[in-house]
Amino acid sequence: MRITQNMSLAEKLNILSDAAKYDVACTSSGTDRKNDGTGIGNCAKAGICHSFSADGRCISLLKILFTNECIYDCKYCINRSSNDVPRASFTPDEVCDLTIEFYRRNYIEGLFLSSGVWKSPDFTMEMIYQTIYKLRTEYRFQGYIHVKAIPGASQELIQRVGFLADRMSINLELPTAEGLRKLAPHKNRKTILTPMRLVQNSMKENKQELMVYRNAPRFVPAGQSTQMIIGATPENDFQILNVAEALYKNFDLKRVFYSAFIHVNDDSNLPVRTDAGPPLLREHRLYQADWLLRYYGFEAKELLSEKNPNFNVLIDPKCNWALEHLELFPLEVNLADYQMLLRVPGIGYKSAARIVKARRMGVLDFDDLKKMGVVLKRALYFITCKGRMMYHTKIEQDYILRNLLSVGDKVPISVREMNYKQISLFDDVNFRQEQFATQQGKKAPIEQYLG
Amino acid sequence: MKRVYVCTDSLTGIFSAIYDAWKTKLGENEVGIALRGSVEQELFCEYVEIRDNEKKAIAVENLIKRHLGEYAYWNIYHTILSHDSKKADVILGMMLEARKIPDSTRIMEHLSHPKVRRMFEISRKVSNEAHYYREIVRFRELQNGILFSEIEPRNRMLSCLGEHFSDRFPLENWMIYDRTHQMVMVHEAGKQWILVHGEQIDEKLITNCSVKETMYVKLWKGFFDSVAIKERESYERQRQHLPLHYRKYVTEFQEI
Ligand code: SF4
Repeated sequence: MRITQNMSLAEKLNILSDAAKYDVACTSSGTDRKNDGTGIGNCAKAGICHSFSADGRCISLLKILFTNECIYDCKYCINRSSNDVPRASFTPDEVCDLTIEFYRRNYIEGLFLSSGVWKSPDFTMEMIYQTIYKLRTEYRFQGYIHVKAIPGASQELIQRVGFLADRMSINLELPTAEGLRKLAPHKNRKTILTPMRLVQNSMKENKQELMVYRNAPRFVPAGQSTQMIIGATPENDFQILNVAEALYKNFDLKRVFYSAFIHVNDDSNLPVRTDAGPPLLREHRLYQADWLLRYYGFEAKELLSEKNPNFNVLIDPKCNWALEHLELFPLEVNLADYQMLLRVPGIGYKSAARIVKARRMGVLDFDDLKKMGVVLKRALYFITCKGRMMYHTKIEQDYILRNLLSVGDKVPISVREMNYKQISLFDDVNFRQEQFATQQGKKAPIEQYLG
Repeated sequence: MKRVYVCTDSLTGIFSAIYDAWKTKLGENEVGIALRGSVEQELFCEYVEIRDNEKKAIAVENLIKRHLGEYAYWNIYHTILSHDSKKADVILGMMLEARKIPDSTRIMEHLSHPKVRRMFEISRKVSNEAHYYREIVRFRELQNGILFSEIEPRNRMLSCLGEHFSDRFPLENWMIYDRTHQMVMVHEAGKQWILVHGEQIDEKLITNCSVKETMYVKLWKGFFDSVAIKERESYERQRQHLPLHYRKYVTEFQEI
């Protein structure tokens, strides 16, 4: 391990932001806090994005590691102990100074502080605590702070940090325990889920306290989140989505983030490196499905199944569900209940709420729906207004699919000509395999796991 | 003959005109308001010049707040800040419609009325722009310690930023300079913000930055570059979220 000392702040920032960028969470939402007049900063409930980096991702927080020293050796991680990379560590004051000076210039909404495991989980967590404590008390910072809890750190430390941070997250890293064993040999499900449970319980207790004492200190007011890497291990979308669902239900998580696997190390335990790039489309479909779980009342088992375990590349999960359930359509917009309206492609949760409100005042027609934000070119195949469909359309899989594809994203013409049964075979996993097979004549990565 | 009141493009001006128009009890097609400087002369119209009148303006403000409610007032306020040249007429039309319906406080739900819908659109554009500037205002520290920022917004929405930044930086001296409308928002540490119109800004003073300013700009630009993931690069997505038009004064897109 190469330890570089006397580095300039710019060099440190370069190394420690570069090393933190693979963490996907950057939201600053979930806390509404006014400034008390004695410091700097406040929080907006919806969060504020300040910029967009060259990859089109939002920049809201100063996302850095405290240090990229690490005693662990997670195969997928650039900072793993067996890598020969320049190492750096901030001091608490450096982190505070950067946060305040960036914040004053309105570059950022706050700080996202993660870290490699330096010496021990407790040692690292203690450094994080000291930094955040300083930032909140000495520097009087009242903006947003997101802290990563270090797996294996003591309960007491995690709790102390939780009273200073707005959000905490503990990365699940990989969807299954086997994946973790293989790629993150020093971590295990227990050291990850224990702190997650602790944060959950402390939040519950804190809610009780706040009901009695309004001014009691708040514990992680913006809730906790986690993330998992997609495509480094052979789990299918169905497994991943089930894991996410369990996390929402059993751990009250605010968000689960998905991070398309990016090759930074060569390791025999990792998928073979290809030119295909990270599985961004797959990640996108998972986010869409995640949205359906959280806001649309869907369950994982409605969207995928053992038999059909991966999302389609060409159709989004909601359309896909509707095409599989044509017997429920068309739906009369003036009568359907809210839960069913939510399931119509082209009707979002906001427009569904508007529909329910507006139809109390009168009978709705297609024109009204349009004004309420319904995307008619998607919805028209699935709804009636006053018993009438918008055009003469058939309630038939192939027919609707062909029409939806022609309004959807850029889809190659050869694909538009296929029928539903053929297209539904095209999930991202198979799609990639085929791509790899034809483009490079290589064996696809997934087969290597299974084979 | 239709009567059109002509007023200045200001809150006081527009409210003064509404006051007189409202008093006539004329219907939507018989009365209108135009802004001085953007009157489109029509046949069979009588034009009446209106002078700014604080008392009338306050009366109208109270009328709106009392009878149409806070939400409608919020929309009217944002509409007045817009660069739309027909905005005053739109507000009048919306208010005349509110007079007709049984519950005036629900006027903003009547989106089927063209004036109400138009007002909804205009006020949304303005509040969106204000929200945008909450994100992309960038301050630099001048030699005298003042945090200074300049912007070129389409609408006169500077006042919408006051509460946000005063709450955020209560102990700082800061200024936001709207170059389009030649206005400055000034906040002195520990005090309320104020708006200053027409004041000449000393261009030399505002380029004279503190010793550490360049260092933090460099640190920020370095961070901005290193945080992007090469394998996911997408300038198109970046442009979708942050159109080139808005980047002029945004530190990370400026050359040092
Ligand atoms: S613990 Fe694992 S993932 Fe975290 S920095 Fe160390 S090697 Fe990387």
